Amino acid sequence: MQKKSWILVVTLILTLLLAACGGQKSTPAEPGTAPEQATAVPAATVAPSAPAPAETVRVAVVMPSTITDMAWSQAIYDALVRVQQDMGGEGAMEIAYTENMWNVTDAASAIRDYAADGYGLVIAHGTQYGTSLFEIAPDFPDTSFAWGTAVDTGKDQGIDNVFAYEARAEQGGFVNGVLAARLSRSGVLGVVGPVEAGDAKLYIDGFVAGAEYADPNVKVNVSYTGSFGDTALAAEAANTHIQAGADVLTGSAQQVVGAIGVAKEKGVLWMGTQSDQSSLAPDIAVASQVYDWVPTIKDMLAKHAAGEFGGTVYSLTLANGGLQMVFADGLNAAAVAAARVAEEQIIDGTIDVMAIISGEAAPAAKGVFEYPEIQPVRIALVLPSTITDLAWSQSIYDSLVDLQKHYGEDVIDLAYTENMWNVTDAASAVRDYAADGYNLVIAHGAQYGTSLFEIAPDFPETSFAWGTSTDTGEAEGVSNVFAYEPRADQGGYVSGVLAAQLTKSGVIGVVGPVDAGDAKLHVDGFVAGVHAVNPDIKVNISFTGSFGDTALAAEAATTHINAGADVLTGSAQQVVGAIGVAKEKGVPWLGIQADQSPLAPDSVVATDLYDWRPTLLTMIRSQQAGEYGGKVLQLTLANGGQTMIYNDNLPADAVAAAKAAEQGIIDGSIEIVVEPR
Amino acid sequence: MTHELTLAAILLGIIHSGIRLATPYLYAAVGETFAQRSGVLNLGVEGIMLMGAFFGFLTVFRTGNLWLGLAAAAGAGVLMGLIMSVVSITFQAEQGISGIGLYMFGLGMSNLLFKSMLGTVEGVQGFSELRFCVTDSFCLADVPVLGDIFFSHSLLTYGAFLLVPLAAWVLNKTTWGLKIRSVGQNPEAADSLGVNVAGVRYAAVTLGAALAGIAGASLSISLLNIYQENMTNGMGFIAVALVYFGSWRPYGVLVGALLFSVVNALQLWVQVLNLNIPSDVAVMMPYVLTILALALPFRRQLQPAALTKPFSRGES
Repeated sequence: MQKKSWILVVTLILTLLLAACGGQKSTPAEPGTAPEQATAVPAATVAPSAPAPAETVRVAVVMPSTITDMAWSQAIYDALVRVQQDMGGEGAMEIAYTENMWNVTDAASAIRDYAADGYGLVIAHGTQYGTSLFEIAPDFPDTSFAWGTAVDTGKDQGIDNVFAYEARAEQGGFVNGVLAARLSRSGVLGVVGPVEAGDAKLYIDGFVAGAEYADPNVKVNVSYTGSFGDTALAAEAANTHIQAGADVLTGSAQQVVGAIGVAKEKGVLWMGTQSDQSSLAPDIAVASQVYDWVPTIKDMLAKHAAGEFGGTVYSLTLANGGLQMVFADGLNAAAVAAARVAEEQIIDGTIDVMAIISGEAAPAAKGVFEYPEIQPVRIALVLPSTITDLAWSQSIYDSLVDLQKHYGEDVIDLAYTENMWNVTDAASAVRDYAADGYNLVIAHGAQYGTSLFEIAPDFPETSFAWGTSTDTGEAEGVSNVFAYEPRADQGGYVSGVLAAQLTKSGVIGVVGPVDAGDAKLHVDGFVAGVHAVNPDIKVNISFTGSFGDTALAAEAATTHINAGADVLTGSAQQVVGAIGVAKEKGVPWLGIQADQSPLAPDSVVATDLYDWRPTLLTMIRSQQAGEYGGKVLQLTLANGGQTMIYNDNLPADAVAAAKAAEQGIIDGSIEIVVEPR
Repeated sequence: MTHELTLAAILLGIIHSGIRLATPYLYAAVGETFAQRSGVLNLGVEGIMLMGAFFGFLTVFRTGNLWLGLAAAAGAGVLMGLIMSVVSITFQAEQGISGIGLYMFGLGMSNLLFKSMLGTVEGVQGFSELRFCVTDSFCLADVPVLGDIFFSHSLLTYGAFLLVPLAAWVLNKTTWGLKIRSVGQNPEAADSLGVNVAGVRYAAVTLGAALAGIAGASLSISLLNIYQENMTNGMGFIAVALVYFGSWRPYGVLVGALLFSVVNALQLWVQVLNLNIPSDVAVMMPYVLTILALALPFRRQLQPAALTKPFSRGES
């Protein structure tokens, strides 16, 4: 951004002048006149001058910054030099490089020149070079090309002599994040990012995830300078982070030398990535994720020698040794141990950093959400309220969108109809979707069952689903309907345990909608949970008689508070009114169905989140296996259909009690006893 | 345990950062003001800054003497300024092009020298923050608010701000300043009155280049205390833009440099405070502001009439 901006300003002044005067520009020789000593403006190219024996491998690399940038470009150059040493010195392998190729057109001509000059492997070390590379590669079929960060070898364009490589920088970022969170005393970490893209973004996302994994209360401030090389702004960003309380800093790209200088001066810790930066400030540069391109380069050279000129995608990971964690001596042993454990768990797959970053896996446990392979499917949703209701409808819609995000829009085609409170309208929507060829039509309400059983037999190869219900219509001879039921009593019980820990007045209020379906289950479980902790706590229950009467729900909440309640819960889309009251009065709210915390981050202290993905995937896979219905599917804590989310501001012992209840329900040691009301 | 930040602390942080960030821009842009007021557009500021940054750093790295480093930076600037002068004043080359050429020369040369003489990023002990200690236990820097804003910068930062009134005084109140302005406005008239047009332009360009060299040094031996290839990263071009922004007046340049730097500091805070603004938008803020300000129409009238026009006696 920054670079673009000044270029714009300068170009405005210069466009006319430049047009007039190509010849006057005093530049050194363009690359290509003599590739061995090519000097591309303003870069310097260095190549050994000794003529190489016939079997010498010749490798050229075109890089966006310099071989001394202590970051991206230096990492690959250092690796090339090590490969050269391993192979027996300059006689066995020749290295040529061109630096400072931030101009992609210049880079393209350097790449072409190296290929024309007979280099066996030409590495274009930047994501920005891909387009040019795919144009050049077909002209030199016996030359191997490589580029990164990328996973595209151009195979689908018929190109077979390009390798691609990527650094899974989020992995080391995660480990550094764990270490940083454990080493920090202030609880504030600062990140000096360059541009929000590529391996910098991966690294920073991983760092944030790791820090929050190690300490949910840690605060990670992230800033981007908008440039890879703006050392001064990076230094200022570091200053700013320190003023904002950070005592551990990290960042990426060659700009960070400025930030490291500030860290050194102010005595705060620094964690690096790409190259080992500890030489600059040994006392404070305590951890580095170092990219090791040696195995990648060696494998590319071996493949090239065997006549395989491209097509492979390489990933630098902790598991394959392409990423290495370097920690300084004398750090807090417990913190280093935690970082090493995280590193081990990333290697053995227990921690999937990508999944944590994308929110598919809860950072603290539960394991990683597995996405099985599925065929393309068209799914239609008929909803009683809206996809933004912060409750019943939104919960299933959000899960579907997540699946679509993972599998892609070409695999999951999603359609929905909102506000179908009128059952007749809903029935015609369901019929239309089925007639239109949707594979799975979900009627998301207990009220839609009768119509569904009428429609389903007309479309025997379409799957239908509805809930909350346990009736698949088998008794009526219907075979293509799934029924689903969130076991809201489970999450309700856990919420109840938590509420009992939180209340001081001994009075808790429940703002229910209609005493049926998952709302009823929720209330039943909640009361049981509260009374399991303390039978003397009073749970006041009110039902508004409607799912959508927000004003009445607000009134109900006010009433509960006036009645002495100091913890509230409730369900359905109506609760947004109640949450508003809870926020105003400073009363904690326990949510269910969708995540309501955006509405009142401090008031919504815990949520029983419905996660429909396992249920949806079961239905999709059954349908694709030819089993169109007949299953009753439950969302439970054990099968991941419900997830408890706890706010950071809760007392630790209250959360511990709630988590114990969760565990008890999952392993079956707690039985939820519903009290008569 | 999380640091709670008060609004006052944040504002203080923004102002302090803004003052510090403005330092290299002030040296470079005030220097460029001299050159442009004499009629020479020197687009090579970036390259000169790089040379200044390198030689300043190298000297301090080798000798440990900060003043020698500063002199080396200014000296490198003078040499670069003389190159620019010879090409654009004596040989009357197109100024935009020769400036870009000078930039590329400075960039390539500083990279080459860095590689051959240092080889890796190193650090030095540069100009440290002055604290204005009156007694052993009391320093003006410790005064709340005022101390943070005014009394905790390095010498070169104070120098940059003192340079502004000094430059305004030279340009507006001295004979030499009058000569600079006259050769930039109407070189024929100045020439007819016996002013050595080429000589004045040589001096103005070289002075500007010396200041650009110091601007580079303010990065490498004061603000950052490291040297890295291409470390100015476009600041020299921003400095040229700031001269336009400031309507070729030192005080205008001061306003522009401060505005640009404070907004830059502001955008950092916007990100750190997790205000829900995309980082791309935050990073854009100072540049959008610059472009908006440059678009103001009245500024053109303040431009030196002979800017970018080579002068040769008797041709017009």
